[in-house]
Amino acid sequence: MRRIVVLALLIGGMHLIGPLGSGAYGSRALLAFGLLILGAYAAGELADAMHVPKLVGYIVAGVALGPSAMNFVNTSAVSDLQPVSSLAIALIAFLAGAELRWSELRERGGVIAKILTAELLVTLVAVTLFLIALRDHVSFLRGNGTVEVIAFSLVFASIAIVHSPAVTIAMLNETRANGPVSRTSLGVVLISDVVVVLLLTGVLALARILVPPHGADVPALGLGAVAWEVGGAVLVGAVLGVLVTVYLKFVRRELFLFAIMIAFFGGQLSGMLHIEPLLTLITAGFVTENFSAEEHGNALEEAMSRAAAPVFVVFFALAGAQIAVAELAALWPLVLPLAVVRGGAIWGGSRLGLRWGKVTESAHELRRDLWTALIPQAGVAIGLAAVVAQTYPNRGGQIRALFLALVAVNQAVGPVLFRRALDRSGEIPPARPAAEVDAVAPLVPT
Amino acid sequence: MTAPFALFIAVGAGYLAAHVAFDWLGRRFLVVSGAEYLVLGILLGPQVSGILGASVVTRLDPVLTLAIAWIGLTVGTQFELSRLVITPARDFRIGFSSSVLTFVVVAALEFAAIRFGGIAPQFDAIVIASGLGVVAVSSSDAGFSLVTSVVGSAGRVFAQLRASTMLSSLVAITLFALLLCWVHVPTPLDRPLTTTEWAVVSIAIGALGGMLFHVFLGETPERDRLFVALVGGIVIVSGAATYMDLSPLLSSFCFGLVLVNTTSSPQELVASLTRVARPFYFVLLMFAGAAWQPIPSIWILPVALFLAARIAAILGGARLVARANGTLQEFGENWGLALIGQGRVALALGLSYLRQGHMPGRDAVFTAAIVSVLLTEFLSARAIRAVLVRS
Repeated sequence: MRRIVVLALLIGGMHLIGPLGSGAYGSRALLAFGLLILGAYAAGELADAMHVPKLVGYIVAGVALGPSAMNFVNTSAVSDLQPVSSLAIALIAFLAGAELRWSELRERGGVIAKILTAELLVTLVAVTLFLIALRDHVSFLRGNGTVEVIAFSLVFASIAIVHSPAVTIAMLNETRANGPVSRTSLGVVLISDVVVVLLLTGVLALARILVPPHGADVPALGLGAVAWEVGGAVLVGAVLGVLVTVYLKFVRRELFLFAIMIAFFGGQLSGMLHIEPLLTLITAGFVTENFSAEEHGNALEEAMSRAAAPVFVVFFALAGAQIAVAELAALWPLVLPLAVVRGGAIWGGSRLGLRWGKVTESAHELRRDLWTALIPQAGVAIGLAAVVAQTYPNRGGQIRALFLALVAVNQAVGPVLFRRALDRSGEIPPARPAAEVDAVAPLVPT
Repeated sequence: MTAPFALFIAVGAGYLAAHVAFDWLGRRFLVVSGAEYLVLGILLGPQVSGILGASVVTRLDPVLTLAIAWIGLTVGTQFELSRLVITPARDFRIGFSSSVLTFVVVAALEFAAIRFGGIAPQFDAIVIASGLGVVAVSSSDAGFSLVTSVVGSAGRVFAQLRASTMLSSLVAITLFALLLCWVHVPTPLDRPLTTTEWAVVSIAIGALGGMLFHVFLGETPERDRLFVALVGGIVIVSGAATYMDLSPLLSSFCFGLVLVNTTSSPQELVASLTRVARPFYFVLLMFAGAAWQPIPSIWILPVALFLAARIAAILGGARLVARANGTLQEFGENWGLALIGQGRVALALGLSYLRQGHMPGRDAVFTAAIVSVLLTEFLSARAIRAVLVRS
């Protein structure tokens, strides 16, 4: 309660100083940024007290402070803060890659591939069929011929199947969960990112043939470009990983700054070379983790986690600020059944994959809980929707609106389900006594 | 080679070279690391290679504000009352007097040079001379940790040097904020605020921010959560100060002062702040270098005078004040030599002055600050050791 009072006072203070300033460049963005961090922090603590994942609190704070509600963080501030989001995604990707052990991949790789194949296919088909069935109620399908309906349903479904490595990593960081459900879900989510990018590229290429876009400024992607986007990312990521390994072996200084630099330049480099940024950093993290001495890799991972702590808060709060509540409210009769169909398909698909992979170890927990990790959507999903909107400027806006509404639902529900599943599967270690957490005394004298 | 790739290569290579080379030099010759980033920034900036373009530097303005505020915050946390009360009053008297003397001497000489050299009209000359005087006051504290690891931190002279450095930062930050309050851009209010009112606003932003932060935070069990909240707090405080064209240094200083004196575990607070202080300082150095522009030749004399007058004022002032307080024999004639080094505070002041679009002689004040940091910081640890050994 006291945090909300302080936030209210801060908001009042911001109104008070309004006429006193000329608003020097960047100062408005700084104020919005500060308010977003404190607002998200307060909401995260509140969520934690209610046994809801903190990141749901961050997202809710973003919605409340963002353009859809109070507009303290307006559209321009959201755009000014995009570099923080990009940095967050890069850090998350590197951390995610560093979580993957080669030995584990060798051991579980086949199972993960089978789960992923089954889950993605079932979801893709289910969402496509759902949209085709409801074609008269979907704005970007209404009144179109069968070929267009199939093409756009497929395009939508190929982005609707995306998962969220950001949520998975943030949740595993927050809960310190470890076990079959956490490890398997992490593997599936990370690899699915690559598969979804490939799939979307293929589906878009097909859609371009079936329904050539009018007024699009994106040239058709050839097979070579797709191969470079993925292969180049692996190659550049591997080189980056080797460089990080060399740095860790011989220098090992200023790891916090180094972590930020790697994430920043990895992202920049992939943008410049037109390669998949997530895959680049995932590969870099993977190579670093698997080729460095254990203590070096752990030190960098710790530095990255430290850098990521405030970045996570801003990332999810910004994701919340980007949710268009008005659009969601207008589309809910379509979005809710769509979310249910997607969720059901993920549930069925993952169980099918587990059966196909003949999983025996912790089979019951995986069958019961794995699907919950695959529900959340964030960051990357929004980027993919933007690609579609860019390719089909006329209909892309409608596809994007429906998709963002779906993301909003999954963003809110997914983390709660995943957290419950981790709890239920007993993979969250018991909370340590306060004194043991890090021996920090309360900041305020009590 | 495209610009981002060149940037990646240059920064990566510079980073490694700087660390490997300066790490070795630091240990071998007691040299303080940091100035190399300034040089790197100049090399990458629009004046040399143009890899870090002017638009990039402008876009990163909020990051620079945050880095400046972080410096103010860490300086503020040095003023922990429980430690201050056990420091003899004489140490503060000496530190305060020598800082004020340095300001007065440098500002007066600069005013004479700028006004009577026909470089700027009277009002502008007063403002520029005051800006240079303020920058001249601050001394670097970077050499202390290096020296402590070599010769230890005990002794009267060491304590005095610590107190003098702290007070030089306090005096410089306060005078700079007052200068900005005095030469403030007009606001659309019916009645413009007076200098005193702006000064009160500057302090209130930090002090109220600090108090609200405590209420906001309550019990903080984890260091990461404390860090996140601290980032939020300092971003709001510095954003508010910058929004009103005030000094983010003073507001964040007050924020740190209130925080460190109300917390039950100041060491945790300081640990949270200092672990990112160096990265922030390096970022500030690099972008300060990139923001630098060559000054017209008429400003070379005031900048050169700044360097000479500052050294003379610090050495003479320190000697005079020590004599007046009866400690000259104990400290040695040239104990002021240990205060010559300039670092993060001087740079933050210079950069803050540069970013105030309405201030006259911005490039000259900034150039004086970065030249002084370049020439003196890396030797500051050696100067401190020399004084300690001699005493």
